Amino acid sequence: MLFGRHQKNPIKIADKGIEKWSYSTCGYCSTGCSIEIGINKDGKPVASRGVADADVNRGKLCVKGLFEHELFESSGRGKTPLLRNSIHDDYQESGWDGALDKMAAEINRIQEKYGPDSFAIVSTGQILTEGFYTLGKLARGVIGTNNYDGNTTLCMASAVSGYKRSFGSDGPPGCYEDFEHTECLLAWGSNLPEQHPIIYWRFKEAREKRQFPLIVIDPRVTMLAQYADFHLCITPGTDVVLMNAMMQVILEEGLEDRAYLEANTVGFEALAAEVKNYDPVSASRICGIDEDTIRTVARIYAKAGSAMSIWCMGINQSTHGSDGVVGINNLSLLTGNIGKPGGTSLSITGQCNAMGTREWSSCSGLPGYRLLENSQDREDIGKFWGVDPDFFPKKRGLTQTDIFPAIEAGDIKGLWLVGTNPMTSMPNTSRIRKTLEKLECCVVQDSYVDVETAQYAHIFLPAAIWAEKEGVFTNTERRVNIIRKIKEPYAQSKTDLHIFNALAKRFKRAEKMHFPHHFDDVFDEMRELSKGRLVDISGLTHDLIEAHKGIQWPYTKEQSENGELPPKGGKRLYVESATFSYPDGRAKLIPLPFVDNNEKPDKEYPFWLNSGRLVEHFHSRTRTGKIANNNKFSPTPFMEMNPDAAVALGVKHQSYVRVVSRRSDAVVLVMLTQRVSRDMVFIPFHFFDCVNRLTLGLLDPHSRQPAFKQGAVRIEQIDQVLAARLNKEAREF
Amino acid sequence: MYKVREGEPSYAFLKDSESQEKSRYGQPIELTVEDSALRGESLTINGDGDIGENPNRYKQHGFYLNADNCIGCHACESACSEKNDVPSHIAFRSVGFVEGGTYPNYQRINISMACNHCEDPVCLKGCPTRAYTKFAEYGAVLQDPDICFGCGYCTWVCPYNAPQLDPVKGEVSKCNMCVDRLEVGLKPACVSACLGNALDFGVIENIPENREQAETEISGFPRADITRPNIRFQQNKPTEHEMTRTDSMPVKYHREHYGESFKATVDEKQGHEKYWNFKKLLTSHEIAHVVFTLCTQATMGAFILLLLGTLVGVESLALLKTPVVFPVLLAVLVIICTMGLYQLNMHLGKPHRFYRGFYNLKLSPVSREIAGVSLFYLGLLGYSSLALFEVAIFQWLAMVFAWLGVLGALVGGYFMYKLYRIPARPFWDHWQTGSAFVSAALIYGALVPLMVTVLVAPSWIAVQPVIAVLAWVMVAGLIIEGVGHVFHARDMKKWGNEGAGSYYWQVTKYGKSYWLRNGLLGLAMLLAAGLALIGIENGIGLVLLGVLTGMVLVTGAIGRSLFFVLVIPTTMPGAFFWKNDGFVEHARETGLAEMEQVGVAYERHHKFKTDELIATIKEHSLLAMVEEAKNILKG
Repeated sequence: MLFGRHQKNPIKIADKGIEKWSYSTCGYCSTGCSIEIGINKDGKPVASRGVADADVNRGKLCVKGLFEHELFESSGRGKTPLLRNSIHDDYQESGWDGALDKMAAEINRIQEKYGPDSFAIVSTGQILTEGFYTLGKLARGVIGTNNYDGNTTLCMASAVSGYKRSFGSDGPPGCYEDFEHTECLLAWGSNLPEQHPIIYWRFKEAREKRQFPLIVIDPRVTMLAQYADFHLCITPGTDVVLMNAMMQVILEEGLEDRAYLEANTVGFEALAAEVKNYDPVSASRICGIDEDTIRTVARIYAKAGSAMSIWCMGINQSTHGSDGVVGINNLSLLTGNIGKPGGTSLSITGQCNAMGTREWSSCSGLPGYRLLENSQDREDIGKFWGVDPDFFPKKRGLTQTDIFPAIEAGDIKGLWLVGTNPMTSMPNTSRIRKTLEKLECCVVQDSYVDVETAQYAHIFLPAAIWAEKEGVFTNTERRVNIIRKIKEPYAQSKTDLHIFNALAKRFKRAEKMHFPHHFDDVFDEMRELSKGRLVDISGLTHDLIEAHKGIQWPYTKEQSENGELPPKGGKRLYVESATFSYPDGRAKLIPLPFVDNNEKPDKEYPFWLNSGRLVEHFHSRTRTGKIANNNKFSPTPFMEMNPDAAVALGVKHQSYVRVVSRRSDAVVLVMLTQRVSRDMVFIPFHFFDCVNRLTLGLLDPHSRQPAFKQGAVRIEQIDQVLAARLNKEAREF
Repeated sequence: MYKVREGEPSYAFLKDSESQEKSRYGQPIELTVEDSALRGESLTINGDGDIGENPNRYKQHGFYLNADNCIGCHACESACSEKNDVPSHIAFRSVGFVEGGTYPNYQRINISMACNHCEDPVCLKGCPTRAYTKFAEYGAVLQDPDICFGCGYCTWVCPYNAPQLDPVKGEVSKCNMCVDRLEVGLKPACVSACLGNALDFGVIENIPENREQAETEISGFPRADITRPNIRFQQNKPTEHEMTRTDSMPVKYHREHYGESFKATVDEKQGHEKYWNFKKLLTSHEIAHVVFTLCTQATMGAFILLLLGTLVGVESLALLKTPVVFPVLLAVLVIICTMGLYQLNMHLGKPHRFYRGFYNLKLSPVSREIAGVSLFYLGLLGYSSLALFEVAIFQWLAMVFAWLGVLGALVGGYFMYKLYRIPARPFWDHWQTGSAFVSAALIYGALVPLMVTVLVAPSWIAVQPVIAVLAWVMVAGLIIEGVGHVFHARDMKKWGNEGAGSYYWQVTKYGKSYWLRNGLLGLAMLLAAGLALIGIENGIGLVLLGVLTGMVLVTGAIGRSLFFVLVIPTTMPGAFFWKNDGFVEHARETGLAEMEQVGVAYERHHKFKTDELIATIKEHSLLAMVEEAKNILKG
């Protein structure tokens, strides 16, 4: 009251009446932040905050986590199971028994009529690990389809495949603490500030204490690229060429770590021979990075005492995704940058539990990074589950991206979608529409009944969200963290674990098997199966995880029994010499010839189409699109376009255009910015009926991940009133 | 007291061990003297009587933004909205950006901005209801929504867009500096949430650890001399000479040399095509102000002509007091003035709190305007009801009211002009605002009696002299209006700031309407002069009068509406959707705003809640009301 009032007014500040803070782990991305939800006296979740002493996020949260408590009451939740005979009928409400009986009957009918693999399951990276494990048991041990995969094929498959090819197993070897030690950071197609803001903050904290070079490889001037010492605006899809050229420089100048290579790797000669084809001059003409920059960057990277590479969808979502990951691994191995502080090759994962599905869901194999192709693994799991090992297929079946063409081909007649929304997330969605129409039975299990794919469902199963359940997630740095139940499931919705168990009961084959109901008991099975594996979690318990706010694996029973406490962070894989997951303990250096099969801009479609994520949204927006304080930052789709290109086409800032590809079109608002080059446009991937109407999505030969980020489009004018109407009509949320 | 949780990370705690004596503006940073009565009092946050133990409790605090580091992740604004339960269509803190350069040498500078808790808080001075207080504690400028009546004047005067007028609740709220956290030594929620290590907070002029600058200027940030804001910046990375905004404002920032500060200049980004945009122009949210100012100025002008005309020797004006004309004229004036006041009051977010408009007579031009206009209205009503009676005492009383009315008109009229002289709104901050108001008083103040006379006078011949005089008054008004526009246009272009942006919109977005207004203004001048010379006995005069009336009404409506829709404040740059007026407009027009999660609320009218007014009256004793009235004078 310096001035303004004679008498002092009391101050009112919002008081949410929080009585209790409940521990959980954020359910959006894979950073794995520990979160606390504030509960008021009526038991209502009213606030969110980062857990102060959790090593990952140290009290911080991003814009999504800060409003995660609002999820419980967000619109569009599924209330009861729904049934219909045809996708052209209206849904009828059903009880759980009726819906699951019908589902089991349909699975049986389809499998009997068309064979066991004619019913496919596509799951997610969103549900709890205990759920994944149980779904795997159900899919592999009871239903017995080999066409079972996760939507992680759209985001992490290339990382998984690349890790397996280089190191003999999936499993990111590094951790966030590496930022504190590294002397050089190479970021390949990763925009941390937008996609993983908390990981960005960990990096920023490290870089404020100690400057180290940042090299960003990205065709777009992202915020991270702005902070880079070297921003390499690469021609889309040519990362492998740049990697080869860097390796060529390293070898030419003798900057490789000979001792490390001899002790830890095989295949050096073949690699050295291949990279000779990629001298920086020839490479520069393909990848668009000049010779001088290639040499400089290669030297800085190779000469750094420790250097780390991180990557995200810029590498993974490409026809050379798996090769790109192998290339990053090659670079790391050549310079001895695996398993040491600040030296790693760390994939930055997408979904909160993409790692959990990779480890435990049996999607691409059997639990605990076991392989269907390995008879011992089949034997072990068969015995543990009480399933005849011969019931397991001897080879991995189709991936998600091959399951859809198999539906087109008529090989698959039934599909169960768990927590995934291909109507928004798959490339070329007009093709996906036609595909889904062909199904005799489509089951959508999701928390939201307004998820776009529900348009094609015959059976809708309403699932509980996030902290209406209990269990664990694994994050990017292999940290297992726990989600505690904050609220009972909404309306009649059920936890995924409950749904899987209840469905299992309806099959004769499950009678001799054990499907534990309690998540603790499920976790016990996983612990048992992890013993002696790379992903050893036998020392973990749910309570220990909560006490430590997440624990990185491996943490073994022996360590726990010896009283060795899990470290706060900083745990790495392949620290000891020759401990890679191949039988000989050596990592493979794999030559990477470059094959150019992308759709590229031409006269008719003169722009590269790039897509990516926004910080305020998560994936297909079924959650963030309903939370106003997230959604308002980008409530409707837009497209970044270079102003110089716009002048030539008469396109105006903040007006609508129609973007046309060889597949279809999309209506977007134009944002003119020099952030993108004259021959590229960028559209966020979150919006329904938008960028993925345009994408081609050629598949990576190893990972079967679609190349979302390489395609060609042209820009057409559209009547502004009509466009505004179309845009609005496409948005139910 | 706010509860500090166990294990709270060190970045969340305030760290000012030392501080300087004076701010760069020369004000002591210690806001009160040692034994001041202002010390040692509780902030009574939510009724809590405790007193915080922050050692720097009486020092001016402020935010710090390292713009080089801001990644635009929205964590600050979200943490704020989460803590303060702010509805999605407003925000106490917002992040916008400016961008420059050419791919790949492109640069985007994000700017996170909340309230700057200024040394010279123009919001506090402007608020008619005294809802604002600048506290000795931390120098926080706090606003109380329970006092606010939702006029939104603080949102006009603040150069940083800090006060947030909620169109749904009809009240303003704003950043409270998280004084509850400060009391226990914690930094505000936004600062603790920052993921780019860009935001910081502390005793003003203190430079945070690991930072080197404390500037008050950055591209996109309004000049600091308007309010002496308590914010400091670091921005060391070299920037382009030209930084543009992605929002719809036709403004960009330019500097001539490295090291020099940026100046706002016009960005003709929407091309040069001319439009009518009639609907947008005439149905804007500010239409209430258009009606109020025009009605009030018309009645004030007419009243003064009526009363003072003969005093200054224009004898013919006495003809207005002839039978029939006089009572009808008074009745018409009362009706017009009432209509204006009704419009003004009902545009408030809380119209039933109208009486609070007087609360800040000490500082607010709005309060003074309201007081003046109310006095004028009282005079008009009193005079109108008494002057018609030929009784001496009535006549004497009528004259008392008349003089009160004239006094009210002068005071109210002056402050009506004064309140628009807002440095954060360059388009208004020009003497032409005054000339436009005076000319309106002359044009419409003459037109009303002219029309009344022509319509009701028993004989046109008898009233011919007054018609000529009134027509000449209109000519004078139209000339003043025209001259004002010529100079205004010249200066706006010359200033080159947000005012030039307004001018650019004037000649493009509303270009056709603008030229129609200009053309009609010139024609009206000729017609009015013609009318003065010809008179109305013959048909030509009547036709002239009819056409003239139509013309001046149209020019008035367009002109005054342009005044309101064109103003471009010196606010912070917005983003592509959020804090972009262009998108807000689009979302409302297309119906996107119907979805709550789009974060755009529709403008709406608010009910006059009689029950709330009665309850307030019942709750307060007469004594309390007297006390409140005294406070108006004491402050």
